[in-house]
Amino acid sequence: MKDEELRRLLSDAVSDIEPRESLGSIHARTKVSPMQRKRPWLLGAAAAVVATAATVTAVTMMSNDGTTGSRPPSFAGPSATAGKTQAQEPSAVSKPSPSTGEPSQSAAPATVMETVPVYYVGETSHGVRLYREFHRVDTGGDPVAAAVNQAVATSPTDRDYRTDWPEGTTAAHVDAAPSDVVTVDVRGDASLHDRPADLSKEQADMAVEQLIYTAQAAQQSREAVQLLLNGHRTDTILGVPTSEPLAQADAGDVLAQVWIIEPGEGAKTAAPFKVSGLAAAFEANVQWELKEGNRVVKRGFTTAEECCRMAPYSFTVNAPPGSYTLVVHDSDPSGGEGFAPWQDTKQITVVP
Amino acid sequence: MSAAPRWDADTAVDELYAVHYRRLVRLSVLLVHDVETAEEVVQDSFVAMHGRWRTLRDPDSAMAYLRQTVVNRSRSVLRRRGVQARHTPDPMSDHHGADEDALASERRGLVLDALRELPTRQREVLALRYYADLSEAEIASTLGISRGAVKSHASRGAAALRHLLEDAR
Repeated sequence: MKDEELRRLLSDAVSDIEPRESLGSIHARTKVSPMQRKRPWLLGAAAAVVATAATVTAVTMMSNDGTTGSRPPSFAGPSATAGKTQAQEPSAVSKPSPSTGEPSQSAAPATVMETVPVYYVGETSHGVRLYREFHRVDTGGDPVAAAVNQAVATSPTDRDYRTDWPEGTTAAHVDAAPSDVVTVDVRGDASLHDRPADLSKEQADMAVEQLIYTAQAAQQSREAVQLLLNGHRTDTILGVPTSEPLAQADAGDVLAQVWIIEPGEGAKTAAPFKVSGLAAAFEANVQWELKEGNRVVKRGFTTAEECCRMAPYSFTVNAPPGSYTLVVHDSDPSGGEGFAPWQDTKQITVVP
Repeated sequence: MSAAPRWDADTAVDELYAVHYRRLVRLSVLLVHDVETAEEVVQDSFVAMHGRWRTLRDPDSAMAYLRQTVVNRSRSVLRRRGVQARHTPDPMSDHHGADEDALASERRGLVLDALRELPTRQREVLALRYYADLSEAEIASTLGISRGAVKSHASRGAAALRHLLEDAR
């Protein structure tokens, strides 16, 4: 088939399509809503943080690191990575907290400090996707309950991420039949039934995936997740069908394809320090830059253990003391312009 | 573009919408087959572009970003939709009237149906090359594949499309 003929065929095939006017709805969604004003980094997306690097300090809970899959974090080193916490524990963390001895999950009412995986959404060049943090919290022995509530009700440590659940929403893990299903009760305004006007369908879908991924990771199983709204089964939550237990969507469709796991946002570390994470990158190529403002101080590349699915990578960086933005991204196979990489960024400080 | 206008994110949305919205929706229709989904994909892409404006800053990279986001999101929609959509009855197939309009719309339906039968990459390459008029290099960077791969998807896609359209006659 000749080029000209193809050109004619394709443009003819859609020539009668007159799309609905949608500038109004785009404006409605790009305008700064009250929720976004409270969290101004919402619109900024990953790279915008570069500008604010110097002023960023992690607040909320400390994040931590893990080096593989969805297993709990295993790293605990002198070059402690976690952000500063308010009245929290010291930052270096191995699995269960030393301060409470070796807490076992059966010690229900006692304070049980545990590190739980929490998924958040972030803007990527491929749409809204999930990133994972680790939060060290008092789980009271129920990591699933703690993790899902963190996911909907707390801010992520990394300001490039966010939760799209409306303010005031909380979540709990409840016992309900059948036993091979994880039941999560979403609590909040009855209007959570429908998709709010300032949330796109994709964001609503991703908010639900955020809960599914978080619950399953905290439970360390792939059991389907039944969502309830204020204690009752409902046909939709945020407009997403929820009458049946939900399986997680394919990781390739919902996870950001490059994550930095360590160091965490706001980490203070001595140099050299190790960076590790997960990436599903073209030909397993992972590139990184260490930036001071907009200036690239160091750069390098490495390969993940496997291509095309989330696989561990790591590399070591040496740099003089200072505040930096660490950027890790996949590579551009074409060398061309307009490449929109998968990336993750962390603000870090190298201390003397 | 050296003398790029200094737009803010809102202006970028308005300007690029005015010029490119319809074409982007049509591009997405070639990929996802239905108009409503395509509109949604393009709307989402404009919202995403607005959010990324600080890193894009000029109309050319914003346009490249939009186009790429439309293609990526179209692909995600298809994947999420899975097989189920492939068997939706074709709304065009009821038309058997002999008048010009009916014939034209039947012909359009055939092309869209044939595209839907192609592997995703071939469909994307054909749409970007013959509808969006991108060069091989631009397609390679939009899709994150090599130029060699663009070439081979284009030639295989064109052959497969011809084959499907001949069968449909």
